[in-house]
Amino acid sequence: MEDLKEIGAVWRGETTRALKTGRVVVLLVLFLLFVGLALTGVGLLANQLVATAMKSSPDVDPEQVKQGLMAARKQFLMQFLTDDETMAESLAALPLALLVVFKLTLRFVPLFIALMGFDQLAGEVGPKSIRYLIVRVKRSSIIFGKFLSQATIFALLLTVCTLVMVGVSKLLNPEFGAAELTVWTLKLIGSSLVLALAYLSLTALCSALVRQGAVALVLNIIGLFVIWFLSLAGEYFRFPGEAISGQLDQLRPDSWAAYLRYLSVWHFGQDLLHPDWTRFTAAAVMHLGFASTFLGLAQLALKKRDL
Amino acid sequence: MSAAIELKDVSKFFGPKHAVEHVTFDVQEGHCYGLIGPNGAGKTTTFSMMCGFLFPTTGSLRVLGVDPCEPGALKGKVGVLPQDAILPPTWPVGALLTYFAELSELPSPQSEARAALERVQLPETWNVLAGSLSHGMAKRVAMAQALMGSPPVIFLDEPTAGLDPKIAASVRNLIRELKGKHTVVVSSHNLQELEELCDATAILDKGKLVSAATMAEMTGATAEFRVQIARGAVPLAEVKALSGCRDAKLEANNVLAVWFDGQGVQPEEIITRVVALLAERNVLILGVWRGKRLEEKVLQLT
Repeated sequence: MEDLKEIGAVWRGETTRALKTGRVVVLLVLFLLFVGLALTGVGLLANQLVATAMKSSPDVDPEQVKQGLMAARKQFLMQFLTDDETMAESLAALPLALLVVFKLTLRFVPLFIALMGFDQLAGEVGPKSIRYLIVRVKRSSIIFGKFLSQATIFALLLTVCTLVMVGVSKLLNPEFGAAELTVWTLKLIGSSLVLALAYLSLTALCSALVRQGAVALVLNIIGLFVIWFLSLAGEYFRFPGEAISGQLDQLRPDSWAAYLRYLSVWHFGQDLLHPDWTRFTAAAVMHLGFASTFLGLAQLALKKRDL
Repeated sequence: MSAAIELKDVSKFFGPKHAVEHVTFDVQEGHCYGLIGPNGAGKTTTFSMMCGFLFPTTGSLRVLGVDPCEPGALKGKVGVLPQDAILPPTWPVGALLTYFAELSELPSPQSEARAALERVQLPETWNVLAGSLSHGMAKRVAMAQALMGSPPVIFLDEPTAGLDPKIAASVRNLIRELKGKHTVVVSSHNLQELEELCDATAILDKGKLVSAATMAEMTGATAEFRVQIARGAVPLAEVKALSGCRDAKLEANNVLAVWFDGQGVQPEEIITRVVALLAERNVLILGVWRGKRLEEKVLQLT
């Protein structure tokens, strides 16, 4: 109970401070600019493709054209985003522009989080201002309070950006129904938040390990590259004894290195939008597991350090 | 009176560098205790270990009976003015002190913060960003946060460094007010200030404790005094022959140093006898002071 009070006090103080600083506004503007630019670009392209399809087959029933487009969208998704048919079918319900922009946004989320919080601890250890805190609260409360503060700010920024994304998509795709839109908005925000937890913890860990903010940022980016590398390297190989299911599989050698993907939290991010709840839950549990590990290591690092 | 702070054989190593080695001393409850030593003597390292910022490599350290590095053990019981810790620059001073008071779980954080700022004579900085304060103002705001909640133990690292004489005097007055009600540990290079404020002191040099004693013992106030001679021939042999006098000699700048048996004779008695003898022999004097200056003692030991 005492610990929760401390964590709550750190969280309130840090969130209030962060919201008053320019960094949050700058990040929000950057995020919105990126979303706006990507949505407009991809939206226009998608609409042009539809118009071209309609023009090239004027005699065909528009309903048939729509079905053809849906099939093409599904094929596109299976080609570029997922090899899971159920998932592709579910995602095909979304306007293509929204889906592409959302997926692009997710790619940038880890980097965005690193930019947002790289100096949360390192920025206080270097100039020793953390000393004003550690005579008042436990070191673990500082870690958790600051982590929660970062998560809150990220959730606020993400919600604003997702609402903008969905709003613009609705304008570009009036056929996108209100009920569907609400469900997908909640799904997108929820899955992004679960995904973000692991990266927020990684950023807290990197910031707890060093004394300079800039070094923490570099370390964080190196950490992200390692995560991406492990995921890509794991997916480059087939599991030993795995059946070849497509042309692409013929090019993938089988190796124990395929298991490397499980060491990377990135690998589990795909399933956070899966319509099958068991797949979603497994992915969420893995993200929470990675988040707990990173946060536990951050706590250990700060607890054992001279400050 | 019991010990508020106890250091037993405390050492701190940073890799191959031995910053503090086998330091042992106690700080009595209610005392104002000085940490003295040249640059690199290990003062700030010792200070930081007492505050729980650094973990001792070996030895045992207790503040109010608990290990200061134990999480939450000293919450609300110590106030710290760290020497080189920068106040978070993006906070307005009032909000920052209120935040600190909330973290310390003080009953009414905002009024505590206001009262602390009043105490260091900076109420007008309430809405000023901590990053835009001058060095002296930032030091006083940092002092204010250390005093909030009236903690039983207060650590002050270089409390008057960089302050103008008037403000430094007001800070010294503040520390004087704390004496007796709080245990205060002051680390400083200003020996005159420490001599004036402290009840006891520890002198460190090259990471080792060279002396730890009460200020009276340290300056020899109970066993020696000095007389500044203006003119006249000092009858040294007669002074040495006075009852209770152990030794006497003329030092540089025409200063007569007298050592006496502190157990057998009261300082006021022997001082009066010596001054009377000098007056009788037409020796004119400019002043008398007990013991030696702390500065002399430190220079002698380090």
